[in-house]
Amino acid sequence: MLLYRSDEWYNRLSPEELQSLMDQNKAWIETLTAQGKAKPGRALERRGAFVSGKNGRFVTDGPFAESKEAIGGYLVLDVETLDEAIAIAQTIPGLAYGGSIEVRPIAEECPLDVRAREFAREEQLATV
Amino acid sequence: MNTQNQNGYMLLFRGNDWIKSLSPEEKQRVTDQWMAWFRRLTDEGKAVAGNPLEREGKIVSGKNRVVSDGPFAESKEAIGGYFLLDVASLDDAVAIARECPGLPYGVKVEVRPVAAECPVASELKKEAEFATV
Repeated sequence: MLLYRSDEWYNRLSPEELQSLMDQNKAWIETLTAQGKAKPGRALERRGAFVSGKNGRFVTDGPFAESKEAIGGYLVLDVETLDEAIAIAQTIPGLAYGGSIEVRPIAEECPLDVRAREFAREEQLATV
Repeated sequence: MNTQNQNGYMLLFRGNDWIKSLSPEEKQRVTDQWMAWFRRLTDEGKAVAGNPLEREGKIVSGKNRVVSDGPFAESKEAIGGYFLLDVASLDDAVAIARECPGLPYGVKVEVRPVAAECPVASELKKEAEFATV
């Protein structure tokens, strides 16, 4: 999964730069889709909410649009290795203007399950 | 805050370090609750996708497309997984986020409306409209 982190850098581009970037983006995603490597991906709106605390009692506004760490969108890739996903992330046209791409492997199973199994194994070993 | 959105909502589960503080029994219970929660939302047609993410990865950034390690597993802000929801309002999505079994342990859920189009495209349209006025 590619997570696109950036502030609203595109507001600083000229109309010509914007148009050129749009064209590059379109070509980029079309190539990946034709290669069967791009699965669903979407942009996220620059607003939303954070829910935290027991029973979700804290609901606050966020994330803040000007944050460079805010996630602006995501793309799920159908590739076999982290290296291949990184190589694709490096070809993202908008990277030249700012932002960063977080590249994350989708887990086979929930890490909670993995931890629970490790505990079970440790317990088993302890009883031997 | 009841904004309507046709494109659905994304829940991003933030916080990676909370798992370590749980006992094996608690871990098992939270896992079961989380799975049951996702299954129920799927059955109700409210969750359309969801995945846990591995506690590792890379960051690609800058003009030179530099690759660095990250995100760090112990980060409170690191994203551990996501759900994609097919609900009509931010309030609905927040109500679902408030059911997250990880909340009592320090998980923070980010709720985001999915955009109809790329923000670069919207920006371009705005400028075009402005130019014709």
